[in-house]
Formats: sequence, C-alpha cells, structure tokens
Amino acid sequence: MSLPYYPINDFDPAMKGMVIGGLGIFHVFLAQFAIGGGMLMCYFQWLAQTGRSALARRFLDSYFAWLILLSFVVGALTGVAMWFTSIQVGARTIGLMIDEFHWLWATEWAFFCVEVVSGYAFYRYGRFLADRSRMILLVLYSVAAWGSLFWINGILSWQLTPDGWLKDHNVWSGFFNPSFWPSLLFRTITSMTVAGLIACIVINTMRDLDRERRRELINRASHFLGPMILLLPLGVWYLMSIPADSREWVMGGSAAMTMFAAIAGGCTLIVGLYALIGLIGQKLYIDGLTATVLCFLAFVASGGGEFVREGTRKPYTVRMELFSNSITEREVAELRRTGSVTNDPYPMRDSGQYPNDQVRLGAKVYRFQCSVCHTVTGANSVVFLAQTWTTPQKQMNIAKLQHTKPFMPPFSGNAAELEGLVQWLSWEAAGRPMSWSETTQDRTAYLRIGSWINEAGTQSAQNLGLMRVDREGQ
Amino acid sequence: MNTLFPFGFPLATEFYLFFYILTLVIHVVFMNYVFAGTAYLVWAHLFTGGPALRRDQGPMALVLKDWMPFAVSAAITAGVAPLLFIQILYQQEFYTANLLLFHRWMSILPVLIVGFYLIYLMRSDFMARRSGFWRRVVVVGAFLCFAFTAYSWTENHLLSIQSDSFWGRFYGEKRMVFFAPELIPRLALWLAGSIPTMVVMVSWQLWYSQRRGCEIPSRDIERSAHLALGGLALALVAGIVYGVFAGSPIRRYFFGWMTWLYFLLAVAGVGLQAYAWLQQRQETALDVRYLIGASLGALVTIAGMTVVREAVRLGEMVHRGARDVAQFYPLHEKAFGVGGFLVFLIFFVVMIGMLAWCVILVRKGVRPDQPTTQG
Repeated sequence: MSLPYYPINDFDPAMKGMVIGGLGIFHVFLAQFAIGGGMLMCYFQWLAQTGRSALARRFLDSYFAWLILLSFVVGALTGVAMWFTSIQVGARTIGLMIDEFHWLWATEWAFFCVEVVSGYAFYRYGRFLADRSRMILLVLYSVAAWGSLFWINGILSWQLTPDGWLKDHNVWSGFFNPSFWPSLLFRTITSMTVAGLIACIVINTMRDLDRERRRELINRASHFLGPMILLLPLGVWYLMSIPADSREWVMGGSAAMTMFAAIAGGCTLIVGLYALIGLIGQKLYIDGLTATVLCFLAFVASGGGEFVREGTRKPYTVRMELFSNSITEREVAELRRTGSVTNDPYPMRDSGQYPNDQVRLGAKVYRFQCSVCHTVTGANSVVFLAQTWTTPQKQMNIAKLQHTKPFMPPFSGNAAELEGLVQWLSWEAAGRPMSWSETTQDRTAYLRIGSWINEAGTQSAQNLGLMRVDREGQ
Repeated sequence: MNTLFPFGFPLATEFYLFFYILTLVIHVVFMNYVFAGTAYLVWAHLFTGGPALRRDQGPMALVLKDWMPFAVSAAITAGVAPLLFIQILYQQEFYTANLLLFHRWMSILPVLIVGFYLIYLMRSDFMARRSGFWRRVVVVGAFLCFAFTAYSWTENHLLSIQSDSFWGRFYGEKRMVFFAPELIPRLALWLAGSIPTMVVMVSWQLWYSQRRGCEIPSRDIERSAHLALGGLALALVAGIVYGVFAGSPIRRYFFGWMTWLYFLLAVAGVGLQAYAWLQQRQETALDVRYLIGASLGALVTIAGMTVVREAVRLGEMVHRGARDVAQFYPLHEKAFGVGGFLVFLIFFVVMIGMLAWCVILVRKGVRPDQPTTQG
C-alpha cells in the first residue's frame, strides 16, 4: 500500500469546505447563466427572425455582451479555480476523479472549445450575419454549453451515488449513476431560471426603451421561468435517488443540512411563485431592483442546494470509496497498524511551540485526519466541539468515531496517535500552556483505546449498517 | 533512456506523454500570442514613435487589441487540456507544488481575472476617451498580470521536480515562494520565443485583411519582420544563458538520445523562421509563402522545445533523486485502462466539425466591405 502524503495547508479560521463551497457556488451560478443564456438567446433569435418580437434582436446583442463579460471571463477562470482549489482541499479526491474520468473531462473540454469559439463568433460577427447563420451559431453555442453540463454532471453526481461503479469500476457505470438524470434535469431548469432572471436585469439596463417595451421583453424572458414548476418533482426524484442515510440528513437528521435544504427550497419557492403568478400569470412589469433581488434569491437557492449536495456525501468525498480525509476504507486497517503519520514526510510547522512529542504527534494526526473538515479554533472548531468531553470520553468518542457521529469516518491511526490527539485537544482547550505532562506511560489507557478502536471496526457507519435507515433497508 | 521521445516508456506512459505534448503545444501557441502581444502593446503605448509613427495605432497594435480577449480565452481554454494530462502523468508532483505554493499559487486566478478585464477595458470606448496616461496604465497592468502568471507557472514547474526532502523543508519553513537560479533565464527563453510566434499569427491576420483589400504599409511589414527576428535573437541569447545557469546535467538532456532529433528540429525551425522573415522583410506586401515558412518554423520550434522541456523534467526528477520515473508506470497503466477514450475521439471529431462550421458561417456571412473590428 502506498498512501500518497501531501503537504496540508491551514485555512483557519475558515473551513476548507467553506472555501471550495463559496467558490463552487459562484462558479456554478455563472455556468448556469452561460447554459441557460444560450437557450434563452436561441429563443429570442427565433422571436426576432419569425417577426414575433421587433425588440428581440436588440435585447439579444445586449444580453450576449453581458454573457461574454461575465461568463467567458469570471466563469471560465473560476472553472480553473475549482480545479486548483480542489487540489488545495482534497488532492487525492480530485486525483481519483481525474484518474477515473479524464476522457469524459476531455470530452467536456471539447464542448467547451466549441462554446468559446461559437460564442466569440457570435459576439464579433453576429450583427453582420443573416438570421439563419445567427441561429446556427447560437444553437451550436447552446448545445456546447449544455453538453459541458451533461459531462460534468455525471462526474459530480458519481461522487454521491457511484453505485454500479463500486462493483465493476466501469466508467459508464459511474457516469450514468442513479442521481445522474434527476440532477441533470434539475440543473437544466435551474440554468433556464437563472438566465431568465438575469435577462430581466439586463432588460432594465436598456434605458432607451420605454417601460411598455421593456415589459414586452420581460414577459418574453419570463417564459424561461415557467419550467420552475418541475423543480419540485425533480427535487423529490433527486432525493429518492440518493442513499437513504444521506436523504435522512436532509430530512432532519442534520440540522445544518436541513436548514440549508430549507433555505434552498424556500428561496426557490419565492422566486417560483413570483415568476408563475406575477410574471407569467399577470404579466407584471419587474424593475431592475426586484429582478436583482430575485436573482440573489436564486443565487442563495443554488448555494443551499450545492451545500446540501456536498454535505450529504459525508463521511465520504466519493461514497464508499474515499473518506473526506482522503483515506480509503481499505487503508484504515493498515494505518492503524503502522500509524497514520509515521510516514508523513512533512514536518509540523512551528514544531517548537508544542510542549512535548506526544502533543506534537497529536497535532500531526489532527492535520492529517481532521483538518480537511475542521479548524483548530475557527469554524467547526475541533477544540470547541470536544472541549466539554472528559479524557476517557474523548478517547472513546474518537476511537469509535463513526459510532459517535455517523458522518465521521473511522479513526485511522493507532492507540498512541489517538492518545496524542486527545492530549493535543486538551492542551489546546487549556490555552496551550508551556508545559504539559505526557501520558505515554499509561499502558492501561493505551490498551483501553486499542480495544475501542478494534471494536469500532474499520468501516464507516453506513457500511457497518449502524444507521436506522440502513437497518430498515435490510 | 536511449530511444527517441516518447518511445522507450510503457505504452500507457507514451500515450499520455504524446497527448500532453500535443495539447501543450496548442496552449503555448495561444499563450505566446497573449504574452508577446501584450508586451508589444506596452512597447507601442510607451514608445509611440511620435505623431508620425504612432505605433499604438499601427496595424499590429490594432489587431492585437481587437483579438486579445479571444486570444486570452483561447489560451485559457487550450490550457485546460494539458492541465488534465499533467494530473495523470505527474499527479503527486503537480499537486504537491500547488499545495506548497498555496496562496502564492492561487493568486494567479484573481490576477488573471484582472488581466482579462483590463484587456476588455483596453479596447473599450470608455478607454478611448481617456488620456494616453490611463491607456498606458491599463496596457501595462494587463501585461504585468500575464507576466506574473507566466512566472508563477515556471516557479510551480521547477518546484514540482524537487526532491521529497526539499519539499519537506520548504513546507516546514512555511515558504510560499520558490526561486531557482535557472528560473529567470528559463522564463526569458519562453518569453523571447513567444515573440516570433505572435508576429506570425498577427501577420496572418493582417494578410487576411490585405486579401480583403486593406493595404498594410510596407513600413509595418518590415517592422513585423524585425520584431520576429529580434525575438529569435533574444530567444537564442536566453537559451544560452539558460544553458549556463541550468548546469551540465540539463545541457546533456538537450543532446541526449531522447531529444537530439527534437532539439535539432527546434534549431532548424529557428533557421526556417529567420530565413522566412529575412525574405519577407524585403517585400512590400505580406507574402503567403514566407508566412507559411515562418509558421512551419515556429510550430516545429515550439514542438521541439516542448519535447526537450519534458525530457529535462524527466531527467531532472531522476537526477535530483526526486523519484524514479518507473514508479509512475503503474499509475499510467491504471489510467490507461479506464474507458471513455473512444467517446472522446468521436466527440472531438464532431467538435472539430462544429468549429469549422462556425468559421464557415462567419466567412460566408461577413461581406468584405464590412468592418470586422468590435467597437
């Protein structure tokens, strides 16, 4: 077994998940704008060339400039940033994804090339071209943009529902996974919604048009909000497609995830009702501020949804394959034997600040096994979470980590490492005093910890069938 | 290694090395356009040559300003493919260098966003109404952003080929900046080499305008030729300086079994470019024969030097005791075994067709008398 060790950076006081999540939500929103924007522009081009709307062409050129400035610059670069940030947060996870799906990623890249070229061709030459050519360019752009969603969606949804892939490791079993279709359709409609809402903002920037003309365009753009009515059944379908324990967290098992799901659902509901009743039903006018507020709500809904999608994977980054801390289930037993940080070539920074070797070892174990989701004293602080536990409580809770909290992976080190971690937690909670007694001579404690670690097993709570939904499933 | 690159490795390694080099060459072509293009714009704006010359309003400057946003997009998009393959070929090395440089490395992203927007700003009506001082600030700002990105990539690359023990020390000392003596000459070699590539690409664009009836002053043609020749000369000087700073082990890779033919091709490419530009310099109009010659020369030089760069990486990793290249083989073999290649090929062909369709639509749809620059 050759476990790759990477240098681990500290994002304190932010959790690493907050960094990748924040960037991811921003990128996803811009990507959705690009995808839905392509479809919306095809629709407006059709309106223009069939004589249904005299203003459609003017709007289209204005909208495309926004799309180029936002999506082609920030959207494209945040896409690259997602890769780089993924490396910072979980190098092994992104490495596994690349290893398994690089040809599908390459296919997505081919689509992206078409998206860029057709987009720029329209941007530069669209105003000189005949309607048919304009439509072809826009259709090529839209197909390419949606195609890139198609490919990336399969890779992302595989992380939570790799089901068939776990058995045969076939790329297509992984790609067409149980949550692929509901997720794809959900994202497609979300993209249309985002495009429609941004259209309402753009129309309001066209100040040379009077209110009635802007209303006409807004009413046309709001047709793209109609499919939102399908988001509810698609959301239910998506929830039914994910593992039962993940679903249970969204449905009340985890307060944070339930809250984010509720925020996403609530924001979607507000935007949906306003769109269906006000914009489509009563053909109301919407000013720039209101459109911006609705767009912001859609952004929050997207953010909530992405948080839930990321959160429900816990304790894995690739379900049943790779834990959040980049250790596989197969490696846990070996690391318990050899020690999880014995072969870690990266020294502790500021090594001299620790009062003894045991605490230093504990800090290193924290860095390797815990720091991907926790901070020391910032967000989701591990010191804060464990500060009221007694020493034996800490020893047992960590030794039986997946039993303590089902969204935690099993502890992957030996008894000495675990005791080091416990001592480091206590030392941090005590305000990092200059001196701290080692407990390395307490053989009874080591034996007790060893026995708890063995009792806990090397598998996750999900694999051990510890969760209510798993037991019911059996 | 006593066979020609990429042979002599297991099939999977050869396969990924080939794709990596192929896609990197495409990226380098656009990258050269962006870097040398913005460098030229800086020069043209800082040294306009007075009212008689007005370099900042010359055909080359106008084409560069007009096409730079697309070129930046193309460079970034084309850069995604080699970024994908490098993660298969040298996953641990690339990831480790990223992680060690941390914020320093991640800062290229906001810097690139700023550079990208400055490019858009540069060609906007808003900037056209501003004074020359502000136009120069914007152009210099954009150039610095791209130069910083280029520097960071070189830094990242050099750090990725260091040994495990060096990485450990680097991490322990909380460093986020890496410097090696060969960094600057190596970067200079790349950057000087980007000038002739940019000139030939812009010259094709000007040739297309010329074919549509737009007259390109012979003074500008001559200036382009001088620029390309100057770039080649600078690249040669930078190459020699790099050779001196890099030390004898690296110099050996240039003439080793793996790369001698590629190095020879790269040198021949430089010769072909020099000949083509010397001939073009004497003409009053852009001549397609010389442009083809210069383009072929540039392509051969870029491809040859990209292969040499890879040989230096592989050799240096072994030389520095970083790792045995053979340890990568099982990882490449495993990646080679996953499916999807056929699907990629099919869609790649379809996408090429779609790209060609876009070009045909535009060429057929835009009349020669229509202005094609974006206001």
